[in-house]
Amino acid sequence: MKTIVLGVGNPILRDDGVGIHVANQLKQYVNDSDITIDEATTGGMNLLDLIIGYDKAILIDAINIKDAKVGEVRRFLLSELSSVHSDNPHDVSLQEALILAKKLGEKNIPSEIVIIGIVLKKIPYIFGEKLSPKIARSIPKAMKMALNEINKDIKISI
Amino acid sequence: MKQILIDPITRLEGHGKIAIFLNDKGDVANAYLQIPELRGFERFSQGRRAEDMPQITSRICGVCPVAHHFAATKALDDAFNVEPTSAAKKLRELMYAGYYIYDHTLHFYYLGGPDFVVGPDAPAAKRNVLGVIEKAGIEIGKEVIKHRAYGQKITAILGGKATHPVCGLPGGVSKGLNKDEVKDIETMAKSCKDFAQFTLKLFDDIVLANKSYVDVILSDPYQLSTYNMGLVDKNNKVNFYDGLIRVTDQKGKEFIKFDVKDYHKNIGEHVEEWSYIKFPFLKKIGWNGYVDGKNSGIYRVGPLGRLNAAEGMATPLADKEYKRLFETLGGRPVNSTLAFHWARLVELLYATERTLELIKDPEITSDKIRNPVGEPGEGYGVVEACRGTLIHHYKLDKNGLIDKANLIVATVNNAGAINMSIRNAAKGLIKGGKVNDGLLNMVEMAFRAYDPCFGCATHTLPGKMPMEVKIYDSNKKLYKTLRQNM
Repeated sequence: MKTIVLGVGNPILRDDGVGIHVANQLKQYVNDSDITIDEATTGGMNLLDLIIGYDKAILIDAINIKDAKVGEVRRFLLSELSSVHSDNPHDVSLQEALILAKKLGEKNIPSEIVIIGIVLKKIPYIFGEKLSPKIARSIPKAMKMALNEINKDIKISI
Repeated sequence: MKQILIDPITRLEGHGKIAIFLNDKGDVANAYLQIPELRGFERFSQGRRAEDMPQITSRICGVCPVAHHFAATKALDDAFNVEPTSAAKKLRELMYAGYYIYDHTLHFYYLGGPDFVVGPDAPAAKRNVLGVIEKAGIEIGKEVIKHRAYGQKITAILGGKATHPVCGLPGGVSKGLNKDEVKDIETMAKSCKDFAQFTLKLFDDIVLANKSYVDVILSDPYQLSTYNMGLVDKNNKVNFYDGLIRVTDQKGKEFIKFDVKDYHKNIGEHVEEWSYIKFPFLKKIGWNGYVDGKNSGIYRVGPLGRLNAAEGMATPLADKEYKRLFETLGGRPVNSTLAFHWARLVELLYATERTLELIKDPEITSDKIRNPVGEPGEGYGVVEACRGTLIHHYKLDKNGLIDKANLIVATVNNAGAINMSIRNAAKGLIKGGKVNDGLLNMVEMAFRAYDPCFGCATHTLPGKMPMEVKIYDSNKKLYKTLRQNM
């Protein structure tokens, strides 16, 4: 199964880039030509372009959910979310991009789109590359959950 | 199915947050759009290798990565005292035209256009790209997708990645073009040119042929008589990649024209207590608050600002369209905010024609794509981002590390004008404390025309833009809150 794992976020906007930190660390555990690990500081249409042609897409992103604590890691199917990180005001959401693609007859949309979300309550507005301690501590859990999506057999001790 | 609601507003603090202040008669006095400005860029850049700036700044926001990439690259040319080779300049401009093709297409069909194509009175839920396709047909939807992708492909062939290019180096570019790539780009550009012409025709048929839409374009709430700014070539024609910064006045006459090195002398930055954004204004006029007219230093940038600040387009078909726009709307300058949408399409056509000119240039396959750099110093770079003039200014130390960095980004140039446009749209709809139902719709149209970039990671959905308008009475007490899609 052709799978893509994408860390989504902005790597120079502190905690917003946590998904990219997770994706980069995952690379050392995965060596399989069917699995692509990459990063995306983008949303909507561009994100869709990146996942087209894969059977499964795993998006790792900072996410804000009511009734969840900072640093918690949750798994969702894209279809369960009402809105997803679009990254900029000059784009559509990934859901809308997907609806559009289906309407226009795109056949290579992944059959499963999973989101591993690291809960963030406040988006940082000051440039920086470091994560806050609570968010940094959530990385191993997010990695395990992502690996579990890729292949149930990969066991790591992090 | 279980729905988990992610509250976009908490994630995107400030985005789509508008405050309207009433006077003691209950009429609109002022309105402000909160633009969440990212902070600390100068400190973040300090001590970094200057040649990393084109990559770093392209991460500032997901909206204008290519514009930041080249503003930074041009600032580095200047800082390292090197003139790029002629072929390198053409390759950069070619890639830049590709960026305009996909960005302007995206805005017209997905974001701004729905207001017109589906109709200004249509419910918010219908004013999105799906509504456009419903009205225009599936086949057109496929064409939109195809040509946006072509713009991206052209950018990616030259830049490595469409969204985060890696080609710009001080003195040139890292990669040239081979003959196969030239052929590919030419085929795509031809198709894009036809598509741009089709889009202008669509705008004619749906918008200009409909008197009620034209009336909205020309209606008072959407007029703003500011100065206009944009880059021009030596013939005063619009240029996206290079040239002098030209400012024209309320009569369309040249007010000033300057090299980016003199931006400090010409552009001041007004500070407000309530905003991290600094509001740029023309120093020669001064800051006189949120008013238009010749005594206010506020200016506009972006598609309409550029067309107003120039005397034509440098390619034949776009120049024809340029003339038609001004003839139809009463001569230059056109002050209607909603004419930004039309101006954007004239620029889309120009970008496709310019792509064809450049790709047919024999020098485009030259391997002389980089000149050696000199000693590090101070550098300025300017480009026209799709949404307006973008300036990068760096000071390097003797080791080529960043000592100081300052950026003036496109949307910030328009910040004063956006506030006025929102206020004017609201004025017609709030009278004596009575708030008309159409307020959110009209306010949204007013600021969407600018294609504002909030320069940060934000969620937003066209037609479903989360928006919150807070109305305050003359004692600054919260009087009413209106929300959409929250």
